[in-house]
Amino acid sequence: MKILVVEDEPVLNKSIVDYLSSQQYLCEQAGNYKDALDKLSCYQYDCIVLDIMLPGGNGLQLLEFLKKEKKTDGVIIISAKNELDDKIKGLSLGADDYLTKPFHLSELSVRIAAIIRRKNLKGNNLVSFEEIEIDVQAHTATVNGELVILTRKEYELLLYFVINKNRVLSKNSIAEHMWGDDMDMADNYDFIYAHIKNLRKKLLAAGTGDYIQSVYGIGYKFSLR
Amino acid sequence: MKLLDKYNRLNIAATIITFVVGSCIFYFVLNYILIRELDETLQTEQQEIISFAQTHNALPEIIPTQDQHIQYELIAVDDAIMEVPYKTIKKKLGKTEENYRELQFTIKAGKANYIVTVDKPIEETEDLLKVIIAVTIAMIGIILLIGFLINRIVITRLWKPFYETISRVKNYHLTDQDSVKLEQQEIDEFSLLNTSINEMVDRIQQDYGSLKNFTGQAAHEMQTPLAVIRTKLDSLIQNEEVLQKNATDIADIERAVHRLSRLHQSLLLLTRVENRQYVLNGQVALDKVITEKYGEYAEMAEAMKLSYHGNLQSVSLLFHQQLAEIVISNLLNNAIRYNKQGGSIEIILKSESLSITNTSDNGVLDNTRLFKRFYRDTTTIDGTGLGLSIVKQICDLAGFAIRYNFSDGRHTFIIQFS
Repeated sequence: MKILVVEDEPVLNKSIVDYLSSQQYLCEQAGNYKDALDKLSCYQYDCIVLDIMLPGGNGLQLLEFLKKEKKTDGVIIISAKNELDDKIKGLSLGADDYLTKPFHLSELSVRIAAIIRRKNLKGNNLVSFEEIEIDVQAHTATVNGELVILTRKEYELLLYFVINKNRVLSKNSIAEHMWGDDMDMADNYDFIYAHIKNLRKKLLAAGTGDYIQSVYGIGYKFSLR
Repeated sequence: MKLLDKYNRLNIAATIITFVVGSCIFYFVLNYILIRELDETLQTEQQEIISFAQTHNALPEIIPTQDQHIQYELIAVDDAIMEVPYKTIKKKLGKTEENYRELQFTIKAGKANYIVTVDKPIEETEDLLKVIIAVTIAMIGIILLIGFLINRIVITRLWKPFYETISRVKNYHLTDQDSVKLEQQEIDEFSLLNTSINEMVDRIQQDYGSLKNFTGQAAHEMQTPLAVIRTKLDSLIQNEEVLQKNATDIADIERAVHRLSRLHQSLLLLTRVENRQYVLNGQVALDKVITEKYGEYAEMAEAMKLSYHGNLQSVSLLFHQQLAEIVISNLLNNAIRYNKQGGSIEIILKSESLSITNTSDNGVLDNTRLFKRFYRDTTTIDGTGLGLSIVKQICDLAGFAIRYNFSDGRHTFIIQFS
């Protein structure tokens, strides 16, 4: 899976690339408009992480270019401008998703995974970890082929964990993923705890290993022990 | 007071004063000239009598006429010859009393001395006064009438471009992004006004544009470093060793970054609402928004065992979908966050108002500072302190009135539409 990260802040660009690379994506970087345009015209990417404000041009112009060239690369806009107009314009120009800075890398990763899944309709809809299989089309999870009944929130949580497996996920990033940004749950992590407790109980009952680990009170990690 | 009325008042007052003063002067000058002419005729009469007396050594015979009376009076020879100056006297003539101009002089005829009195009626000058007053009043009337007509017809038409400009300026909204583009007018002053307004609006548009860009850029410039901190923090917590030693520090930093990010977004939102960068151009079904938002918060409410009473009529308002969601979300968030275990929330939506009531252990809030930025109840430290300020700004933008009530431990926020 090839991903192009178009972001002019080198440190941020590197962080994104490092994170995505650790998830077995093949990443390329572009730090300005011209580089991005060169890369876009030569190669095909599964997903493009696109900043709007770039030295030498605007990310929206790159979207227009992709549209004109009838390229089908998936695009997720990462912008500091949380302006509705930009969001609508970006989405209408063919972007698949829009993420406002500052975001959690785990959130970006989930969004990218979703875009790639949507683009590759022929590919399989299954995301798996050990004996757990998640059908993202049907929104169901099975353990050893047995269906596990999950609530919507538990399902979202499981998918988030599985996509960001082996990473420590802060409570904060989990809360933002589950309840969105405008709902301020940051001061109340009890909800996360409740959902995680239920999910773990259901998974254990279905016969999985105990994959959800609490990490020093900061967050959780989904991995083999 | 209208400029026209003010001008009219001054104009009428000035006209009346001018005519009254002018008429007075006119009367006195004319009176003076007529009297002098009368005096000259009296003097001519005197000359005639004197020369007659010298040549004939006798006084001329008195021929009584309507407009001239001559009278001789015999005096003692020794009396000094005297000449009395002209004077105006009143004389009874039949029933009416009339004014006469009189000249007295002494003359020697034969052996006797006489006082001769010549007088003429000055009736004509009085008639003149009447005519002058009548003419003055008529003139004032005519001038005022003409002035009124000119104002009514001509001036109203002359001022039309001015009122047109005013109405264009009144209907102008910065957020529409158009300049007013007022046309040149026949009258120089109005053209000047229009050009000046055009230039001013263009300048404001530019400043507004750069301000808007600045907000966007400021967001970009500040959010990017924030994004770096956050992503680096995400990487840092992957390091077991670091985490083990600095768990609380990292948790604190994470919290602070989250707060900073929210604070910044809230401030940007406030600025955008204040700059009227949102145009209220959509019909929003408020009952649906409330139901949907409450659904999102239901989990929080359940955790606190809150009972929910909703009485929502179907209400559609000219509003902005995103702003409506923000208002409802902020109010709901407060109503739940500051509630007490086992408390209640009551939402009543009617066509003219929305009220959200919640129970709380906190006492009455300071009504004067409640909607100010960074106002926060002293018992809590979380939250940006901008939530209600944002709600207030959005309500102001939409022309809604918001107020706060407290009774029996229940806090109520009421939004009055229209």
